Amino acid sequence: MNASIALIRDTFREAIARKIFWGLFGLSSLMILFFLFVMKIDIVAGATASISLFGLQSHNTTDVSRLVRGIFAGVATFLYTFGMFLAVFASAGLTPSVLEPGRIELLLSKPVSRWHILMGRYVGNLLVVLCNTVYLVTSIWLILGWKTGIWNFAFLLAIPTTTFIFAVLLAVVVLVGVLWDSTALAIMVTVGLMIVSPILAQKDTIVKLMSSEWSRRLWLALYYILPKVSDLGRITLSAIMDRTFDGWMPVWTSALFGAVALGTALYTFSRRSF
Amino acid sequence: MPADYAIETSNLKKIYRSRWRKREVRAVDGITLRVARGTTYGLLGPNGAGKTTFVKLLLSAVIPTEGEARVFGRDVHEAEARRPIGYLPENHRFPTYFTGAGMLDFYAALSGVGPADRKRLIPELLEMVELEKWGLVRIGKYSKGMLQRLGLAQAIIHSPSLLILDEPSDGVDPMGRRHIREILERLEHKGVTIFINSHQLAEVELFCSEVAILYKGKVALSGKVRDLVAGKGYRLSASNVPEALETALRERASAVASRDGVVDFQFASSEQANEAIDLLRGEKCAIESLVQTSSTLEDVFIQTIGGEKTPAAVSTTSTAQEVTA
Repeated sequence: MNASIALIRDTFREAIARKIFWGLFGLSSLMILFFLFVMKIDIVAGATASISLFGLQSHNTTDVSRLVRGIFAGVATFLYTFGMFLAVFASAGLTPSVLEPGRIELLLSKPVSRWHILMGRYVGNLLVVLCNTVYLVTSIWLILGWKTGIWNFAFLLAIPTTTFIFAVLLAVVVLVGVLWDSTALAIMVTVGLMIVSPILAQKDTIVKLMSSEWSRRLWLALYYILPKVSDLGRITLSAIMDRTFDGWMPVWTSALFGAVALGTALYTFSRRSF
Repeated sequence: MPADYAIETSNLKKIYRSRWRKREVRAVDGITLRVARGTTYGLLGPNGAGKTTFVKLLLSAVIPTEGEARVFGRDVHEAEARRPIGYLPENHRFPTYFTGAGMLDFYAALSGVGPADRKRLIPELLEMVELEKWGLVRIGKYSKGMLQRLGLAQAIIHSPSLLILDEPSDGVDPMGRRHIREILERLEHKGVTIFINSHQLAEVELFCSEVAILYKGKVALSGKVRDLVAGKGYRLSASNVPEALETALRERASAVASRDGVVDFQFASSEQANEAIDLLRGEKCAIESLVQTSSTLEDVFIQTIGGEKTPAAVSTTSTAQEVTA
C-alpha cells in the first residue's frame, strides 16, 4: 500500500512539476468561469429561457430543460474531443519519463514488482485526469443547476465515461511508451486512433460503398477491434439528451482493447532490460 | 537458515543480439561469483567490461540470457529478494521536482519503510550526509557531490544488508569522498555487505577486502585484495588443467582466473608455486608461464587487463618478472 501510494503521488508530483495538472486545471477553471459569469440564462416565463453571452441577448426563447441539455451535450462533446486531445497530449510524456536511464534502474532495485511500478504510473495518470474531469463536470452541473433549477444527473455520467475513454487511450499511450520510449509516437498513435474512430463508426454507409468483400471485412474488423471513442461519446450524449442508444457493444469492445493494450504493456515491461 | 552468501551468481550471461544484423554482444559472459556476507567487495574492469550490466543483473533491471543470480539465497527476479538491497546507480537521474527530503520519502516508501519511520529517519539521514539544511530545497539546485550524498542516503534509509554502489565517489571532491568512506566504514562494522563497482582503484584497494576484475564480460581475476597486492607472489599459468586439480589448487591459491583454456593461479610463496607445478606436471598439464609479482591493485589490474591486450607488456612492467618455469 505504501508503495502504491508513493507511486501515485510521484505521478501527481511530476504532473504538477510539468505544469500538466495546473494546465488542465486552468483550462477547466476558464470554462467554469465562462458558465459562471459570461453565460447568463434568463428564465423568461417559467418553462422558457433565453441566453445572453457577453451581454448580448439571444432573441429566441426556448424550453429551459432542452436548453440545459443542449449545453450539457456541448460540454460532453468538448470533453470527448478537445478535452481528450488535451489529456493525451499532456500525459503522454509521463510514461517515457519514468523509463529514463538512471531513473528506472533505481525504481527496479526496490522491492516492488514491475507491474506495480507501471500500474502506479497508469493509475496516477488516470487520477490526474479524473480530478480535473470531476472538477469541471461537477462545477458546470452545479452552476447550471443553480442558474436554472434543473438538475440533470445524466450529465454527471460524463465523469465515468470520459475517464473510461481516457483509460483506454492511456493504455495505448503506455504501451507505445514502453515499446519505444517515445512521447511523440505515443501522441501520434493515440491521436490517430481518435481521428480514425468517427470515420470507422460510419461503417454502415461506407461498407455499402465498398466493392470487395475483403475490404468490407477489413473495415468492420478495424471498427470492432479499435476503441470506439466517438460511439462512447454518442452513448453519453444519448443519456444526457434522454434518448435511446444501440447497445453496450462500444463499451465492452473498447474495454477489451484497453485491457489487451495495457496487458501487452505490462508484459513487455516485465520482460524488458534497462 | 540464512544464506552464507550475500551475492551468488551462476554462469550468468547477458547477450545482446542485434535483430537485423545478427550481431551479438556478450556484455556478461558466464560469470560465476560469490560474495560472502559482511564482505566489502570491489568490482573492477575497464570501460565496457560488463560491470554495470552485471550490477543491473543483480537488481533484475536487466533480464539474463542464461544463468541465475541470487541475493541472500533468493532469486533476484522475486521483488522480495531486493528488499535487503540498497542501490546507488551510476549516472543517476533523480527527478528534479523532488526536494531532498521528498526524494528520501519516496524511495524509502518504495523500500517498505512506514510513514512514522520515514518521518524519523529522513532528518537523521540528511544530517548523516551533511545535507540537513538542504532538505527542503529542490534537488535541481544540488551539486553533483550533493546528489551523490543524497543518493547514498536513499540507498541506506531502509537499513539494507547489501549495499550496491555504482561509482559512489564519482564527481565527489576529496572531502566528500572521505565522508562517504566513513559512512561506508560504519556500515561495514554493522555487518552490511558492500559491493562497489568503481574505476577508482586506489579507493577500492583502500576499502575493499575482496575484488573481481571483469574483462570482456568475464571474471579475469578475483581474490582477496591483501593476497593480490601482497609483497611477493607468483602467478602460475597452466593449460589443460583437469577440473578436479583446478578445484584442489583453488584452495591453495590466493586468486584464480581462467580464460581461453588457460588458468592463472596466484600463490603467495615459491614453495606453493613449486608444489603446484609438481601436481600440474604430474597430470601432464602444460605450464605456460610463471611470473613473480609484487604489486599494487593498479599493477594487478594492468597486468590482468593489459596482459591480455598486449602480452609483451607484462614482461616489461617493473612489478612482474619472468622466472624459469
